[in-house]
Parts: sequence; C-alpha cells; structure tokens
Amino acid sequence: MVRWPHDLGLELRMVVTLFLLMVIYFVFIAVLAYIGVETLFLVAIVAIMLLFQYFFSDRMVLWSMGARVVSEQEEPRLYETLTRLCAIAGISRPKLAVVNSAVPNAFATGRNPKNSVIAVTTSLVSTLNQEELEAVIAHELSHVRNRDVMVITLASFLSTAAFFIFRNWLFSGGSVGTGGRKNDKAALLLIIPILAAGVWLISFLLIKALSRYREFAADKGSAILTGNPSHLVSALMKISGQMAQVPTTDLRKVEGMNAFFIIPAISGSSIFNLLSTHPTVEQRIAALERIQREMKG
Amino acid sequence: MTWKDALDALVGKTPLPKATIDNLFAISTASVTMQSEMNLKASSTAGLCFKPIESSQYDAARTEIEELLQISSKETGSTYRLTTDEYRFTWVVMEDPDFEDLVTGLHLVSQTLIERGFGSYLLCAIFRFENVKPVYWIYNFKQGRYYPFVPAPDKTRDNALEFRMRSLLERELPIEKDTGMWYPLWGIPL
Repeated sequence: MVRWPHDLGLELRMVVTLFLLMVIYFVFIAVLAYIGVETLFLVAIVAIMLLFQYFFSDRMVLWSMGARVVSEQEEPRLYETLTRLCAIAGISRPKLAVVNSAVPNAFATGRNPKNSVIAVTTSLVSTLNQEELEAVIAHELSHVRNRDVMVITLASFLSTAAFFIFRNWLFSGGSVGTGGRKNDKAALLLIIPILAAGVWLISFLLIKALSRYREFAADKGSAILTGNPSHLVSALMKISGQMAQVPTTDLRKVEGMNAFFIIPAISGSSIFNLLSTHPTVEQRIAALERIQREMKG
Repeated sequence: MTWKDALDALVGKTPLPKATIDNLFAISTASVTMQSEMNLKASSTAGLCFKPIESSQYDAARTEIEELLQISSKETGSTYRLTTDEYRFTWVVMEDPDFEDLVTGLHLVSQTLIERGFGSYLLCAIFRFENVKPVYWIYNFKQGRYYPFVPAPDKTRDNALEFRMRSLLERELPIEKDTGMWYPLWGIPL
C-alpha cells in the first residue's frame, strides 16, 4: 500500500520556522506597543492590503504573467489530466490557464480549490510527456490542496507591516514621530526603523525558507497523488536541462515579474528554482528518490 | 476546516481521501427504475478505472485482481479485459448479461484494491445504460456518490438529460449534490 512518507524533519522545520516568525512578530508588536507607537492603524492598512491580495491574487498573478484561462474544448488533454487528479484528490477542479512562453514552467494561485488557477506554459506542454505533465500538474495541485497561498499570506503579514514602517521612515527623511515634537521619546523612536528593518530582513529569510519547505511538501504531494515519484524527477530534469539553454532576457523577464510582488511566494509557486523560494533541483530529486524508496518498501 | 485539517495545512500535508465503497450497490435497484421510467436499458458492460502505481506491492495486487477475475468469470460466465487508456490509467472492463453480476464483480475488484491499500487510487466505476445513445452513471469513490454523464458530440454534455436522470433517481441513488464535481470522462472504453 502507499503510505504517506513521513518526513518528520521537514514537518519539524516548518513548525520551527513558523514559530520563529511568530516570536519575531510578537517581539516587534510588543516593542512598538511599549514605545507607544500607533501601530494599529498601520496593521489595519496592511491587513486590508493582504486581504485584497488574498482574494484577488489569482487574477493579479494571471494578469501579470500574461496567462489566459482556457476552456475544456481548447485544452482537452490538460483538462482531462487535471480532472482525474482532482477526482483522486476528492476536490473540485481548479481552472486551467496557459502562458505563451518559451520557458517551461508552471504555477498555481488562488486561495481555495474553487478559486484556484493552475497555469502552465506552452513550452512545458510541448517539452514533457503525458506522465511528466501529470506530475507537474499534481505538484501545482498539491500547492492548492496544502493551501499554500493562505499559509504564506498569513506568514508574511507582519513582515509586510515591518517593511512599510521602514519605508515610511526612509521617505519621511529619517524621522519617525507623530508631530515632530522633541522630547525624551525621540531617541527611543529611532529604534523603530532599525527594529522594523531587522524584523523585515529576518522574517523575509524565514518566509523564503518556509517557501522552500512548501516546495518539498508539494513534490511529496505530487508523488503521492500520481503514485509515481519518478515522473516528477524526469520532469524536473527535463525542465532544468532546458533552462540552461534559454536566453537571459527571458530569465530577466520572469525575474522582473517576481519583483512586481512584495512577497514572492504570494505570486504563486513556480515549479523551477529560479528564485531562492525554491530548493535546488538536485535537492528536490534527492527528496523524491527518498520518497520512492519509502513507497516501495 | 477542522483542527486536524488546519494542522495538516500548516505542515504542508494533505492526505488523499479514502475510498468508500458502500454505496456502489445502489445502482442495482436504480437500474430497474432506469428501465421502467426512462426506457434506458442497463448495458452488459461496466468498467472500473484506477491509477497504476510504481511499486512491487501494487504489482502483487494487480496479479491478485487478475486471478480473482479469472475465478469469478468462470463462476458467473462473465468476461473481462484490462486496458490502459491514453492517460495511462488502468481499466477493468467486465461484460455480463446479468447486471447484478457486473456490480458484484466490480465491487470485488475495488474491494481488493482497497484491502491492499490502493483505494485512494480508484478513480471511478462506470455503468452504461442505453437506448439510442449511451448514458452513464459514474461512481466517485472519494465522495461515495454517483453522478450522471451523457456525452454529446464535440466533447459537450447533454445536461438536460443528466438533470432528468438525477431527478428521477434522487430517491434510490446517492447522487453528488455539487454539480461542479460531475467530472466528465471522455473516451470511456465501454
């Protein structure tokens, strides 16, 4: 039988990462409250922003990537593959989108299966065979099932707030204050931008680590869903082999798209490790081979 | 979303749902209604679709299924064939003039797969009915419910007939309420 390959290390790392994020956020809020900064207003603004991103991320990402949602008649093979995976996973079927691009890639976006969109590039479809394509779609479907958009949105919440505090301080000429009144508090207020910058930097790194763990989890999800980890391995190898030949302009274009978002992982998750939000292909293949051994045992 | 779901989501772990087989037999009585109310006769073929797995234990399970099918076909006189479709899914297609034997046969095969731990990979069981054109009742193992599927030309569906099938059999067949889960299956090999 196929058991869920338990990777206690990975699960532990995720929990520890989330715990560290919470500790940092807690300290941040505590210090701000102690100093007496009106953070409530800022936190509210960031909350609204993230809520907006949470509810509209699917459309925003599709628009910025130039992805076109396709109908079942246009892409019968892709839809049939997705449909069967959804039936096995017991979830309602997300929409499918196609990006006209020479870079073989895929991403998933949306807060729940019903509102999700899984997008693949034209070159991915032409590069991979049926089983490999299924494995990549299963990987993206696992992001949807694991609710990665929600987890990363929650994880990045105060990181974004910290970023805005720091940016506000830069733009206001290095002064933080409600009225610019000179008092004993002025020195204390200088701590805020430094603290905010620190919180932002550390949480940024933690979120990247978290995204990498989510990638491993999605790879595992794909292995379970398809029952064949080796298909994702060959897909990853094909994609990464092809990536080396792609001209840099394309890479920069993809990179520029990522800069469009404050939090890279919110923009969905791409199958390839262009960004440090993804582990290296070698690491992923090694993890998949471990899963394969466990599934056989 | 329960606490366990939330915890699973937190560590990026969403297990596959288990297969439920209990409602499979409901099609037996439904076939009588299909005949009397809609003049749709149960076909002598029915199929089971599942995803093959890369593992020696799966190979063993598959061998066991083939042996089971051979034994049961001797007993009931039904015939069977195993095929792989273009999406690399495995189909067990059974043929028997007795509809009860068909349901029992498919139940046996799915039961074996579940017992060997491959229940999660059961895609569906399909029962065909026909008058002029074929209509299908598809059993989704994850929801444990049936839904109608009437293919029309150019990969479209005859929704009107599907809804009629639902309204006529609502009482005796557990039917999937969410029509968003009524996944089509094109190129059914039966």
